[in-house]
Amino acid sequence: MEPAGPAIHIIVAEPAQPAPVDLLGTVAALEGLGCEVRVAVVADAETVRADCRDAEVDLIVVDRRLGRDCESILETHGDSGPPVVVVDAEGSAEAALDAFRRGAADCVSGGAQYADVLPVVVMEQIRRWRAVQERGSAARLIRELERVHQNIIHNMNSALLVVDMEGRITACNPPAEQILSRPESELRGAHVWGWFKRTGDGQDLVAKTLRDDVRFKGAESLITRADGTLVPIGISCAPIFDAAGSKHGAVAIFQDLSEITQLRNQMLQNEKMASIGQLAAGVAHEINNPMGFIHANLFQMAEYLADLRRVWSDVEGLQKSIARGDAEEIRRTAEKLAAMAEDVDVPYLLTDLATAIRESQEGSERIRHIVQDLRDFSHHETGQRVVTDINQCLDSTANIVWPMMKHLVVLEKKYRDVPRISCFPMQLKQVFMNLLVNAFQAIEERLGESGGTGRIDLTSEAQDDGVVVSVGDTGVGIDPKHLDRIFDPFFTTKKVGIGTGLGLSTSFNIIRRHGGTITVESRVGEGTTFRVFLPISGDDDVDAN
Amino acid sequence: MTRTEENLPRLLILDDEAGILSSLRRALRREGYEILTFERVEDALREIELRPVDAILTDHKMPGMSGMQFLKSAAELRPNAARLLITGWPEAIPPSEIAELGIRALITKPWDDAKLKATLRAVLSEP
Repeated sequence: MEPAGPAIHIIVAEPAQPAPVDLLGTVAALEGLGCEVRVAVVADAETVRADCRDAEVDLIVVDRRLGRDCESILETHGDSGPPVVVVDAEGSAEAALDAFRRGAADCVSGGAQYADVLPVVVMEQIRRWRAVQERGSAARLIRELERVHQNIIHNMNSALLVVDMEGRITACNPPAEQILSRPESELRGAHVWGWFKRTGDGQDLVAKTLRDDVRFKGAESLITRADGTLVPIGISCAPIFDAAGSKHGAVAIFQDLSEITQLRNQMLQNEKMASIGQLAAGVAHEINNPMGFIHANLFQMAEYLADLRRVWSDVEGLQKSIARGDAEEIRRTAEKLAAMAEDVDVPYLLTDLATAIRESQEGSERIRHIVQDLRDFSHHETGQRVVTDINQCLDSTANIVWPMMKHLVVLEKKYRDVPRISCFPMQLKQVFMNLLVNAFQAIEERLGESGGTGRIDLTSEAQDDGVVVSVGDTGVGIDPKHLDRIFDPFFTTKKVGIGTGLGLSTSFNIIRRHGGTITVESRVGEGTTFRVFLPISGDDDVDAN
Repeated sequence: MTRTEENLPRLLILDDEAGILSSLRRALRREGYEILTFERVEDALREIELRPVDAILTDHKMPGMSGMQFLKSAAELRPNAARLLITGWPEAIPPSEIAELGIRALITKPWDDAKLKATLRAVLSEP
């Protein structure tokens, strides 16, 4: 029958003469436990060393009568490797002490009990050795797992930080060192409080994860580097639980979004520039009209002034004549003055001068308003979420696009009372502007050369913890086969130079970043309505559990 | 100023901007024209329908109807009236359409008074 237990390899080192160590009982006992036992009998320390190199040895039994070789074996194997059991036929206490001192695992004396004791000692030593080896291999396995684990952490593209419940870093990787511009030695043990601030509301994501067990996936955040600069990152953060289910920290995985943020800003900027190009024409036209008559009026007023000077010089002439007291001269200069006054038409001139000044004042007031509208519209974007009145956003956008469309469009505004929302106002204005310009262009296309006007309905209302803005037009409508592509980047049905194909895709992204939705309804030949829903909180990509 | 009003060349000006009309009237007041100004396309067309005019000066970008569309209708009613366009963006109007409508002059806003007067004089002195 095949033995079921482990193979056990024992080396017995003993002199050829006299009586050999009696291992029979030991072998029998081990075999009784189901082990396969192999015993190699050798006579010198050199062979023991060789055998230990070549094979896994579980136990070395040495007869003390080997003398110098016995000492040599103990020297080599006493402190490490398989246990060495010394068999001493004489059995003196001093010899046993000496053997232990040299590293023997045990020492069995000769005598009556020898045959009974040896198997017990051997089995105990093998058991201990095996246990030690098993622990060793478990430790090796753990070391191996750790190595794989470290490899993964070190070679992943994303930065990784593991923190304990106190927010202290317990593990990190090179991308984390790079993004944070701090070496691992500085990172380990450092507190991360305040390092991860979500874009907009500034919430500390790691702290929230540790406190409320909230997981974040792909949230946008700013991270503070050692030098105080802020880096935009995309971060996923989750609590870590041990086997017993108690939370003992959090893991944060994040990527540097500087480049992506830059590209995205560039794309937004491109889109904005294209829209501004369209706006500029409208605004310039709006400014050009009052500018046109103010300009002409100033020229006219200069002429009026010249006319009045001529009259005044005749008045002075008359005054001089009166001073001289020559009646004839007085009569002549008075006649000249009267003729001049009639030619210049002083009463008309004075009245019209007042009118020209009033009209010019009104014109310049209009220009001032346009500039104010522009200023409201392009109000400095801080890059932070701002609690905003959406109706104001809508109105300043409508004011700015109005000039470009007023000759073709009737604009109906219906703003209801809506809750203020946390948002990036400039980005939302860009969306509204885009929708309004699209609506206008759809109307323009529908009217063509036929004349007449179209209508745009601009509304806002409160709904489900948010605001719904709708822009409806009476334009050409969208072909059903295009409807599911209108939010794709670079998709456009407009003529080259009119549409960038980025307007709606940019709008879509802006609304999504606000945690909102944008939907469309359209009928060819009737018109199109876009609806934008914006939640009050504006939380983006939060996965709370 | 010896001419009676009936003998003065009749100049019709159309612009949706009252300030522009007032300013044009002011600039041309000593030019010896009978000046008729209108803010609405319909009113201008009615006047043209009722009585002949010698010249028509119109803005381009107006609510409801563009200056070009207006001139087309005016040309049907009074083909002999000289047609002039005043606009902030003359380059936005295709030259082919200008030729097709027989537009005699394109005047840019803001305009230069002296040039405007000279243009009108030239246009109105030609048959």
